[in-house]
Amino acid sequence: MEELILKLKNEIIEVLNLEDIKPEDIDENAPLFGEGLALDSIDALELIVLMEKNYGIKIKDPNEGKDIFKSVAVMADYISKNRTK
Amino acid sequence: MSLIKHYVRISGQQPIDSGHPTTYNVCLDGQMLVSNAPADTLLADLYKGHIGDYPKFYKMDPLCKAGFIASELLLNAEGRRREQWGESRGVVLFNAASSLADDRNYQATIDDPETSFPSPSLFVYTLPNVLTGEIAIRNHFYGETNFIVLPTLDSEAMASAIEMTFSDGSLQSLVTGWVDCYSESQYDVLMLIVERDAIGHRDELSDEIKRLAN
Repeated sequence: MEELILKLKNEIIEVLNLEDIKPEDIDENAPLFGEGLALDSIDALELIVLMEKNYGIKIKDPNEGKDIFKSVAVMADYISKNRTK
Repeated sequence: MSLIKHYVRISGQQPIDSGHPTTYNVCLDGQMLVSNAPADTLLADLYKGHIGDYPKFYKMDPLCKAGFIASELLLNAEGRRREQWGESRGVVLFNAASSLADDRNYQATIDDPETSFPSPSLFVYTLPNVLTGEIAIRNHFYGETNFIVLPTLDSEAMASAIEMTFSDGSLQSLVTGWVDCYSESQYDVLMLIVERDAIGHRDELSDEIKRLAN
């Protein structure tokens, strides 16, 4: 799981253009939205694309994203249980 | 007295559409700020050296980065409280390439039907007037905003449109000018602050724009 969390942090940094942020700067238990990385709605859409592109997980209802994208740790847990890639 | 209150010129040593890597000069109100800077790092270097504290910059497309940097240099040079303007300041910009740089980047994400994953963060920039929005929102400018695509940098057309924009009686000032961009390393910017005294002086304004653009 630690390996997946690190991989996910690097992917988030890359797809969301989080310049000057390193994986060690991201607390995997901190909220991704509202505080923490303070991501916005477009970032949420990019994360939905990332889930499908990298892990074969289709999130059909964007409202599901609120629960799945609570934190990097929650994302990683969801990926480990639902990935098809 | 000049009709152009402040200006910033970001221009390459070669024409924007030459397709060759180039170096850039940055001139602010007649003073050379940067000369012979490499194209691919200039905007990020200007952001870090002169602006900072706005990480959204890194999410912008190339057109918005070029225009945002120019607007920040311009407004810092003006030195006035940005919040004072409200509806009395607008943003009207011009170019020839529209949002071509981002259009190409977005197209690349959907080219191959087998691996098509459209990028939302690229898609939202596939309109040039997102730049006018970025500048207006950042600085609380609530006046007219517009982005006009022209075949080429046409100072007469620009002066005419600028004068027409001031027909809105509440508008006192415009952030305006040319912001063209073909890619992350190909851009051409002349951004200006013009005020209501430009009304009735279209030819002079056109001449000043032409002089600064060359």
